[in-house]
Amino acid sequence: MTVEQTHAVAEAETGIGRLWRGLRHVAASQYRIINSNGLGRIGAVIVLFFAVIAILAPLIAPHDPWESLRDSAGKIASMRPPSLDFPMGTTFLARDILSQMIWATQTTMLIGLVSGLISILLGANIGLYAGYYGGKVDEVLMRFTDIIYGMPFLPFIIVLIALFGRSKWFVMLAIVLIVWRTSARVVRAQTMALKQRQFVTAARARGCGDLRIIYRHIMPNIAPLLLLYTAFNIAWSVIAEAGASFLGFGDPDQLSWGGMLYEMWISGQSRTAWWWFSAPSIAIVLLVSALVFVSRAYEEVANPRLRQR
Amino acid sequence: MREYIARRIIYSLFTLFAVATILFVMFRMMPGDPTAQVISPALDEASQRRLKAAFGLDQPMWVQYFIYLKNLITLDWGRSFTSSERVFDILMYRLWNTLLLMVAGMFLTLAVGVNLGMIMGWKRGGKLDVGSTVTAMVFQSAPPFITGILLLIVLSYRLDLLPTGGMSSPGVRVTGVIGFIFTQDFLHHLVLPTITVTAYYLATPMLIMRDSMLEVLGSDFIEFAKAKGLAPRVVMVRHAARNALLAVVTVSSILLGFAIGGQVIVETVFSWPGMGLMMVESASSHDYPVAQASFMLLAAIVIISNLLADISYCYLDPRIKIGAQGT
Repeated sequence: MTVEQTHAVAEAETGIGRLWRGLRHVAASQYRIINSNGLGRIGAVIVLFFAVIAILAPLIAPHDPWESLRDSAGKIASMRPPSLDFPMGTTFLARDILSQMIWATQTTMLIGLVSGLISILLGANIGLYAGYYGGKVDEVLMRFTDIIYGMPFLPFIIVLIALFGRSKWFVMLAIVLIVWRTSARVVRAQTMALKQRQFVTAARARGCGDLRIIYRHIMPNIAPLLLLYTAFNIAWSVIAEAGASFLGFGDPDQLSWGGMLYEMWISGQSRTAWWWFSAPSIAIVLLVSALVFVSRAYEEVANPRLRQR
Repeated sequence: MREYIARRIIYSLFTLFAVATILFVMFRMMPGDPTAQVISPALDEASQRRLKAAFGLDQPMWVQYFIYLKNLITLDWGRSFTSSERVFDILMYRLWNTLLLMVAGMFLTLAVGVNLGMIMGWKRGGKLDVGSTVTAMVFQSAPPFITGILLLIVLSYRLDLLPTGGMSSPGVRVTGVIGFIFTQDFLHHLVLPTITVTAYYLATPMLIMRDSMLEVLGSDFIEFAKAKGLAPRVVMVRHAARNALLAVVTVSSILLGFAIGGQVIVETVFSWPGMGLMMVESASSHDYPVAQASFMLLAAIVIISNLLADISYCYLDPRIKIGAQGT
């Protein structure tokens, strides 16, 4: 759909009908973008798979993830390799790894999604305003972005958690406060290029206000870029959460893949417990690569030159 | 150009100052008694009071802020809660260890990434191109602790080829820094952490190099060079790669900034006695003076590497004129 058509649709209708049509249009085009790219399709299926597990966690987890289990002979089932009773084995404290994995999926997906979405909201707005207004606004916002670029990411999370306590809310806050920076710079550059274009001049001549131009004329044109960075930001959030949890700065009341690896690491069982190491590791790699594959699909839309390659 | 560099340096100093300020605010916003961050709660009443006056904690907030800045600049970073050593002394030793590992990791990453990316772009769509892209993307998706532990399990625990961690074997005698760096024992310990860092960061410079090679290869001067009858190797290395390198330099700034996070994890996995490990240990044991100073030093490394990349970019691309807007 060209710019002109988008605008025609946007201006012709009003109210609920327009919102509904807009949503349907967005859903259909997302499906088309992801479906047209082989790796993107695989990525989307993996992400959906984890999302379903996260939602169904309370129903499908076979055991209480915190409970020390006993085998049929009544002995504590500590450090058992995968078997029929425990499909993914057990931990040092005889907890069922499969159940832990399922609950951890929920935590990881929640933290990834919430901080990914909030950070793109923040980054996109800062980038749009800086790029559109230019001058002093741009100067202030970009110097601020530079400051955030001076922050080492993981150490920032560590310091924040060490000061304020190990809670998933502070983990999310720390991630959001850093991750937006890349999207802000990219969106700014794109906005600066777009605002020179004629449709912006035309909109201004018609008497559109700044906010209307930013959100209704420029933003729809950088939508693929925003979706690309949404996927990236979620991936970065997942990696950051896993890293913080692995270093022992995760929420102690929440199971997460990084936290499971932390338990494995400090229990000193890494020499023997390959099953305890591989389950969370494979999950992290799968989810993050899936997100990267989805973002590559959007990248081809955002950057058409890549398509021929 | 001189003006551009001068401005970049001023921006960097400003950023450093702003990061220090944010850190100050964070430490003062911490729930509980603010004195607990600079004075060990293990000390007796009288010593605590004396230290409180020395740190100016009985004074208003803005005075405390200036004392904080003054201490930061004069390298008076207090004493560790756990070992009572001067924080500066602890961290200087650690800083070198971190830089050693960082430089080794970055060097290998850029060397492998640029060369592979160059060939991938030259032979677009070939086996090497597709294979390297997917491999690099998978390793990029694996946080360094996964790659690190995997390497440990395979190469150290099972095959017993390389040491599991640390910088030197117990009992190895060390004479002088330079002598130490080139000992076989040290290089032996350096292998796994360096590979781990490289595996994690390789994708970015490699793919950027590849994409930018593709872009350069489409331009007229490459056709011209080929038409002149130059050997393909010469066109690839001297003409295409040289121009494509520019994009890699630009992203390397972002890469170095991100590398710090990986550094912290790699140091923890391989018990490498650097700043990252220090940061993790001090933060978990609530040794605030050490945590604060480690964070500032890590931030300084990030800011300085961003600055260096900006400056090298400026040298490589003469199109950046005085007063041009850098991002």
